[in-house]
Amino acid sequence: MSSQSKSAGSSVNQQLVYAHGLAAVVMLFVSITFGIIASTELLWPDLGGGSPWLSWGRLRYDHTQGILFGWLGNAFLAFLYHAVPVLTGRSVTSARLGQWLFGLWNFVIVVPGWMLVLAGFSQPLEWAEFPLVIDAFVVLALLLMAVQFLPPFFARGIEDLYVSSWYIIGGLIFTLFAYPMGNFVPELVPGARGAAFSGLWIHDAVGLFVTPLALAIIYFVIPAASRRPIYSHFLSMLGFWLLFFLYPLNGTHHYVFSVIPMSAQIGAITASALLGVDVILVVANLLLSLRGSGWFPRDLPLRFVSTATVFYLLVSIQGSVQAQMSVNQAVHFSDWVIGHSHLAMLGFATFAAAGGIGHAWQRIPWARYNHRAMDWSYWLLFAGLAAMFINLTIAGVVEARLWQSNAPWLDSVRAVRPFWIGRTHSSLLIVAGFIAFFMGLTTGPKGAGLAAVEETVGLDAIDEISPRLSASHEVHGAAS
Amino acid sequence: MNEQRPPRALRMSYLVASIAGVGFFAMSVLLLGVWPGQVLEEQTRVMSPEHPLGLSASERRGREIYSREGCAYCHTQQVRYLHSDMERFGAPTLAWETRFDYPHLWGTRRIGPDLARESGSHPADWHFVHFYAPRSVVADSVMPAYSAMFDGSPDRPKQDARDLVAYLETLGRDRELAGSEGEAHARANCNCDKDEMSQMAFHAPELNANPHKTRRTGSPPALVTGSESRGKDLYARNCASCHGPQGRADGPGAAGLHPPPTNLAEHYYRYDRLSIVLTNGIAGTAMPAWRDFSIADRSALATFVRTLYVPQPEPTLPQNLLDLGARVYKENCAQCHGSTGAGDGTAVSELRIAPSNFRTGRPTLGETLRVLRNGIDGTQMAPWGADTNGRLSEAELSAVAYYVRSLLVVQSSD
Ligand code: HEC
Ligand code: HEC
Ligand code: HEC
Repeated sequence: MSSQSKSAGSSVNQQLVYAHGLAAVVMLFVSITFGIIASTELLWPDLGGGSPWLSWGRLRYDHTQGILFGWLGNAFLAFLYHAVPVLTGRSVTSARLGQWLFGLWNFVIVVPGWMLVLAGFSQPLEWAEFPLVIDAFVVLALLLMAVQFLPPFFARGIEDLYVSSWYIIGGLIFTLFAYPMGNFVPELVPGARGAAFSGLWIHDAVGLFVTPLALAIIYFVIPAASRRPIYSHFLSMLGFWLLFFLYPLNGTHHYVFSVIPMSAQIGAITASALLGVDVILVVANLLLSLRGSGWFPRDLPLRFVSTATVFYLLVSIQGSVQAQMSVNQAVHFSDWVIGHSHLAMLGFATFAAAGGIGHAWQRIPWARYNHRAMDWSYWLLFAGLAAMFINLTIAGVVEARLWQSNAPWLDSVRAVRPFWIGRTHSSLLIVAGFIAFFMGLTTGPKGAGLAAVEETVGLDAIDEISPRLSASHEVHGAAS
Repeated sequence: MNEQRPPRALRMSYLVASIAGVGFFAMSVLLLGVWPGQVLEEQTRVMSPEHPLGLSASERRGREIYSREGCAYCHTQQVRYLHSDMERFGAPTLAWETRFDYPHLWGTRRIGPDLARESGSHPADWHFVHFYAPRSVVADSVMPAYSAMFDGSPDRPKQDARDLVAYLETLGRDRELAGSEGEAHARANCNCDKDEMSQMAFHAPELNANPHKTRRTGSPPALVTGSESRGKDLYARNCASCHGPQGRADGPGAAGLHPPPTNLAEHYYRYDRLSIVLTNGIAGTAMPAWRDFSIADRSALATFVRTLYVPQPEPTLPQNLLDLGARVYKENCAQCHGSTGAGDGTAVSELRIAPSNFRTGRPTLGETLRVLRNGIDGTQMAPWGADTNGRLSEAELSAVAYYVRSLLVVQSSD
């Protein structure tokens, strides 16, 4: 294809990597702006002056939809345009389709979705707040993504696939199944019955879209950037299948102690505990693969993904624990859960996405790259996330205790104010971290990404490598 | 680790696993979506009262507003099968109660309280002022203001605000209307005698346990002298928004309330009266109940409220004036306020807001005359003055004012 860069010695469409990478960061800024205004409104509720467009509920919808579609969606697409050709040795289906998909994703889904929500057209369903018209385009986009990225894998026969490929295939296909369940079914099936489906999607959005693609990045970047194969291909695959078996069975844990039949609740709670065990397996495999790279590798994309791995472990174990009835009855509905979701989306998913974008970006020969800014970004985000997580977790415990006592409701609102102040301030660090990330991608000399790779991991890592092959010790030579 | 390409058997297993993967997803939908759905549908069928009300057009519009504003992200509509939830909010939510919820609004976060049992908890004027400017009635609230649903003041709600309040009045309504008969029907058909958790739905102390919900009767605890400084603090945080910092009914929330908050500087109250007011609220008015406050806190509040009263010199009254007052009272006031002034006249059952009890509390003379001249907005207490509809002459007016003030029964403990 004409638009592809030859210099990386691959069929990677660098323009699309670049476009989605930049779009991801721009969308990210908009999304966190929604979040920051919403969090500030909990401190000064009259900040929005009563304007419906700045009303807390609508900003809250746009914050999470923006993170899901605008930031993570674009970041995953950027990564896929890099990784799929590398993994398969084939280019994606069509560059033209890529341009359409870019336009569809950003200018038909995310931007209009935001506007419609602010104008008062939305659904009150978690992770499904964009209105139904937008949902129809999301399904279309998911279909087009399947057309764009899946054929290269199947051209080769599935038995040869590296684990990242499995996660990509699984993520794209299962999201296509799960999405309508969360977005359409509750509109047709009322009340408690609809909630059962909604619960499934709340978990599937994270479990079948975000997690597989984030893990695809992690499994890809670790061997590619560290030049060491994955510890065990067998464990990788075991982890993969267990994840896909267990994730969908978790959904009902969002409605523990509800009228939904107890056996379904207990099933979901059990699956949640097993999921924690499986994640330990996955993460052990990943951390063993990272042996020798240190906790804070010099290569920043690698550092981002290795930290994402640790966050993944923490958030999953937390999830398994808080699904258990004794914990759930206390912390459910509280800020504890908001802390959990930030550990998942801002910790695990965002660190993986940042690593994925960074890794692909370094390998665009004409892109700018600023190692120092990236380094700052890492530490600022790390500190910001830690501050936010700690504040929200304490707030959740305070709320839980007051709700279980007979204190007036409002006491719980008053008591968490200091932690809400802390949370809002933590966003300063996070914004600074993302500004640094943006600078990491847009300042510095052109081609500095490759130079940084050379300096941190060594020159041979610049060559296109297939992690699958590195796992089976058939490392490509420089001539590939 | 040196792994070679997976052996053939393993490769085949991928195919099997792929099929199994799709199977597992389907299974999750069946096990956690479709099957529970069928159980819930069956429960709805057998446990629902025969003619649940459903939603009117206005209530449905209100529901859409609730949806678009993200109310469900601060308020759940689902009382869990847990004692902590039952004590705060009331009976756990049954499947049939959600049968008209397209889509459900259960929510997964509580910044504000659960609203599954909101109907009847507050009157419309409270809701309007609360939506217009939440902090003008609940000083420490973090709820957003929805002033765009009004024409510049809480007294002028647009259709949106009316619809929203209409919708809130449906939350828990069907269960309330089904009454004890409905509960018995549901319980008999629940087929869950052995299931401890399902049984909880029928054993809540109250269907609606909202501590702010007013009630007409209820046994208040005896309040004693409490800590004045604690009372002052509680008053500033919870009461001043309506009653004003000095109790002069000039708080920011006062303007939109009908009846307006009582001017506490102009009223003397016995402890037992304050106990009733703080425990039961004043039904039909925006004055909430405060059952979530401990007895000690309610005592502290009562003590502080009594300090807000500014006593005025009491003139001694000529007997003939009191006689005139008694006559006027008997003819015009007793059917509502009761022959002894206990607020228990024959017409009481027809009144939305109960008439004042003159034996347990007393307004100043100025306040009494003001009420007689102007009536009380939002209640059936009409104006009686000569200039309004000429029902009572100026002399009769002041005579009856003196008379009602003489009805106070001072308790030795006070
Ligand atoms: C940012 C969170 C937030 C949002 C959004 C929100 N509320 Fe609230 N709400 C609260 C808090 C906190 C309280 C408790 C303090 C108070 O009464 O204002 C409350 C109280 C209430 C109450 C009184 C409950 C009772 O019985 O005491 C009602 C009714 C209510 N909200 C309705 C709504 C509706 C309707 C919406 C959407 C239009 C909404 N709320 C949106 C936070 C919120
Ligand atoms: C939402 C506004 C509001 C708040 C908050 C409020 N009140 Fe009231 N209060 C009223 C209104 C309105 C009335 C008058 C009702 C009527 O005309 O009977 C009233 C009446 C009263 C009365 C007179 C009762 C009687 O029997 O005549 C007392 C005493 C009182 N409130 C005390 C309090 C205390 C103490 C608090 C705080 C714990 C409080 N109020 C909070 C609105 C409020
Ligand atoms: C139709 C029934 C009705 C009649 C007749 C009636 N009242 Fe009332 N009155 C009320 C109601 C209702 C209230 C308001 C209670 C409230 O706001 O909580 C009230 C309040 C009052 C108050 C205010 C008490 C306070 O604590 O501020 C006074 C004074 C009063 N009435 C005097 C009279 C007198 C004198 C008459 C006869 C001339 C009279 N009322 C006739 C129903 C009635």
